[in-house]
Amino acid sequence: MGQQLATVRMGMWVFLVTEVLFFGGAFCAYTTYRIMYPMDFEAGSAALNVGIAGVNTFLLLTSSLTITLAMRGCFIGSRKTLARCLLLTTLLGSAFLGLKAREYFLDYEEGLIPGVSKLTPAAAEAHAARTAALYAEGEKLQADAKAESDIVARDLYERGADLKSRAALPPVAFNENLKVALSHNKAFTGRPLDEQAYDQGPAGTSTAAGAHDYDPYKVQLFFMFYYSMTGLHVLHMIIGIGLLIWQYVLTARGFFDYTARYIYIETMSLYWHFVDMVWMFILPMLYLTGPHTAGHAIEQFKHAVGLATGGH
Amino acid sequence: MAHDHHPKTDVHIEEAVTHDVAPPGRTFVVFFILVGLAFLALFVGFQNDLGPWKVLASLCVAAVQASILAVFFMDLRQADKVTWLIALSGLFFSGLQFLFTLTDYMTRYLGVL
Repeated sequence: MGQQLATVRMGMWVFLVTEVLFFGGAFCAYTTYRIMYPMDFEAGSAALNVGIAGVNTFLLLTSSLTITLAMRGCFIGSRKTLARCLLLTTLLGSAFLGLKAREYFLDYEEGLIPGVSKLTPAAAEAHAARTAALYAEGEKLQADAKAESDIVARDLYERGADLKSRAALPPVAFNENLKVALSHNKAFTGRPLDEQAYDQGPAGTSTAAGAHDYDPYKVQLFFMFYYSMTGLHVLHMIIGIGLLIWQYVLTARGFFDYTARYIYIETMSLYWHFVDMVWMFILPMLYLTGPHTAGHAIEQFKHAVGLATGGH
Repeated sequence: MAHDHHPKTDVHIEEAVTHDVAPPGRTFVVFFILVGLAFLALFVGFQNDLGPWKVLASLCVAAVQASILAVFFMDLRQADKVTWLIALSGLFFSGLQFLFTLTDYMTRYLGVL
């Protein structure tokens, strides 16, 4: 019997190793690109909701506690403890998923989907204001050109035409949405590289490159990682919650009154702890990579659950 | 023992001898240590002037968290050698994955840059 139980545990660990390699692949790809584009990944991270992620960390940790207590309950033959702890674990896992869904929805509202075609109202407004200013500047340069001598005039006129043609370019929705989203994070001081070319004068004179200047196109790549890695994690959570509900039903039907069957709960708990462990790495690598402040995180969470009015 | 009249009790005793399921007290201690480390992880995440050290510090905290989780909650503490071997093989093969991917990508553009 003891050997049977040891074999069951070992089998679960073999499965978990395949899972480690599965998530490892995603983390490895992430690491590779992060080394290539460190500033862009930090900018992407700065636009994420650390408030929700932080609360979710504690929800998941507590669910790891309750499933361990569930196993103990089964081991000592207390159906009541087992049922309660399984239920609590299910609830904590569901709360995690609920908040995660809310977070995805807020990301969607902010238009932070790679390849998105629609500007958010705020982004459309900001973009219109910037292009209008750009166009006006172009007009001004061309007007100035009239008062200058030939060579200078041609140069000014061409620079003005360049600014006007830039102003006429259609906006890349994600990039514009991202700029608005990042403007809410006061700890983030980086500027988009696609604006610097004309905001800081002619090429070569730009000296004000900040520590976090980023290329919005590469931030889209970060967001691909964000959605696929958290999405895979969410998928694992959903499977885990399905298993928990199944075990709750089994508990109610007296299946676990035969206490050696606590191995079922233990195997399940191994999986659940593993999902928690993945989150322990997702949190620092995706969410905490960029600049954030505790105050902003709290505000983000309040806003997400509807405790704060207005603002972000 | 499978033919015993009181399988519940006997299996319990046999398991209790060979394997112990942590009492709630110990579980709570481990839990509070993990909560402390989660606060530490967030604290490190909010230090915006660490530069490249931030990710290193964050990963160290995560590694400690994951180890405690694996040893206590996932019960590697009592696991036999084969289970340890399997668990560590996961680390080993991920290590290889990182090693060969990064040595490739990080040296690809040396001649160009």
